[in-house]
Amino acid sequence: MLRSDQILATVEMIQKENLDVRTVTMGINLLDCRGNSVAETCRKIQDRIQEKAGKFVETCDFVSRKLGIPVVNKRISITPIAFVGAGFDQDGFVELARALDQAASDVCVDILGGFSAQVEKGMTETDRQYIMSLPTALSVTDKICASINVGSSQKGINMDALTMLGQSVKDIAEATRDQNGFGAAKFVVFCNQPGDNPFMAGAIHGVEEADTVLNIGVSGPGVIARSLERLISSRSDSLGLDEIAEEIKQTTFRVTRCGELVGRQVSEILGIEFGVVDLSLAPTPTIGDSVGEILQILGVDAIGAPGSTAILAMLNDAVKKGGIFASKTVGGLSGAFIPVMEDALLAEAVGSGALCLEKLEAMTCVCSVGLDMIPIPGSVDADTISAIIADEMALGMVNNKTTAARIIPVPGKEVGDTVSFGGLFGASPIMEVRNVGKSGRFIGWGGRIPAPVHSFKN
Amino acid sequence: MERLMDKQFIISVMSEDRPGIIADITGAIYELNGDLADLNQSVLFGYLTMILVATFDNHITPENILARVTKIQSPTQLDVIVRKMDTPLDTSQSGLPEKTYIVTAQGKNKSGLVHGISSFCYLHNINILDLATTRTDDRYTMILQLDLSKVDSITVVREDLQEYGKESGLHVVMQHHQLFKVTNEINF
Repeated sequence: MLRSDQILATVEMIQKENLDVRTVTMGINLLDCRGNSVAETCRKIQDRIQEKAGKFVETCDFVSRKLGIPVVNKRISITPIAFVGAGFDQDGFVELARALDQAASDVCVDILGGFSAQVEKGMTETDRQYIMSLPTALSVTDKICASINVGSSQKGINMDALTMLGQSVKDIAEATRDQNGFGAAKFVVFCNQPGDNPFMAGAIHGVEEADTVLNIGVSGPGVIARSLERLISSRSDSLGLDEIAEEIKQTTFRVTRCGELVGRQVSEILGIEFGVVDLSLAPTPTIGDSVGEILQILGVDAIGAPGSTAILAMLNDAVKKGGIFASKTVGGLSGAFIPVMEDALLAEAVGSGALCLEKLEAMTCVCSVGLDMIPIPGSVDADTISAIIADEMALGMVNNKTTAARIIPVPGKEVGDTVSFGGLFGASPIMEVRNVGKSGRFIGWGGRIPAPVHSFKN
Repeated sequence: MERLMDKQFIISVMSEDRPGIIADITGAIYELNGDLADLNQSVLFGYLTMILVATFDNHITPENILARVTKIQSPTQLDVIVRKMDTPLDTSQSGLPEKTYIVTAQGKNKSGLVHGISSFCYLHNINILDLATTRTDDRYTMILQLDLSKVDSITVVREDLQEYGKESGLHVVMQHHQLFKVTNEINF
């Protein structure tokens, strides 16, 4: 038998520290579901999802019970819908959204991602129709998440698309006004979007993938936080950042291995190829499940104070290293997330004024996701929103990493107000946007920001 | 070399621990021309217990083995039991059963804890493969490696275990052994 202390440490991890497999996401190819009409396509899509995912949830539950690790969410990602619905108009896309929503409910998954398009080089007419369908699609459905890739290090940034999208984000929020603009929480704009990320709202089943694949998202900010607290309190002599990084790396190894174990067993039972383990510290509003807390433990009294970016850089890197060694195939986003509404301590830092949009933007240079779950005043104009997103896209493009923006302009609310979506989506004070209304001329140009020079590697 | 007509014995030895016990015992086996199949030993608070399986020529009896061991000049008293196997044991190595689980039970120390949990296992047709206990101040921790192959419903065992934990004031958790393997070993 293994050593007792190792056994007890593993038990603690799961029981007390909120280690869980955050999501098992089944990626499903829908390219060959394109029929002669919208109705036929919807039917084929529903049949395909039922066929592939009919036993998905029960298999995950079975493996979860057998191993004793909670599997919190079972989700589906699909081929970006703009490919599947090539040639359809915006009404057609709304119908597809409804069909996907129904299919997701039929197989009992809680979210289906991939109502998406990829426009980094240019927009087709279908892409435009897709974009126009978004406000309605996201307001008449519950479970659908949407995303769009507007830039890449290879192709540059499609500013024509971005010009439209600032308004789209506002329209989506307005269409879900009675839910405080919740529709915008289901839509992410990406640069360098990966095709195998299992986390929502940006999960898609990339066209480069096979027919079906299983991707696992493991999380556990609480595990990292508690192990760091133990390390710090057990050391009376001085502790260096490199030793702290090592502790994060080793803890991450164990967390990733749990996900790998669950993933391989589920994929074996379902007969589906195992894709990637995405080890991301993805916080939830639950106490003890916060990335912000890790930043505080690692030495800043207020999140957003000087040092926050450096600490996050170290954290993100250590997480990646531990994860890479633990898994056969690590992919997706893999790193630390800083979604403001979903992390109780980040939200608190916004409220106290310690954390501002500019600092968050800096922090996104060194972590995994981007400006995520940021509630801003509903009055901010579309061009300013486009420009906020453009800044984030530029960071990803130049630094060869994935960045994203999930901005939520909350209708009717201003700085000083709070918005709450409940459950996993959390709550936060509205974040101030400085220099509103000063970016119109920049957004007015349109066209494309060319790919950076370092992308020319042919 | 196959020894088809030979006799297989289980030998168990208990003694205050000192250097040379294994050398002494295996030396006796060697002198009697025996073949050692496998050996397991553990030391608890300075006392050694060892169990081994060895094969000897057909004419060797338990009395021969005991007599040879008694001749050992041991500074510590060696308590030895020898039993002949009428049916040879399967000495091929097989790994842990698929349905091996690890149960951890932690709580305030009081008498009867190990008896309680081991009786639970017996009643549920669970075989205990390994057991480790530690005590710190007044907290008692038991870790059991269990074989649930002969159990009808693992879900029922989980539920009963939760009940048992509540009744006995223990925090009990049961998890599949693979979880511990993959999180602590380099090979997956």
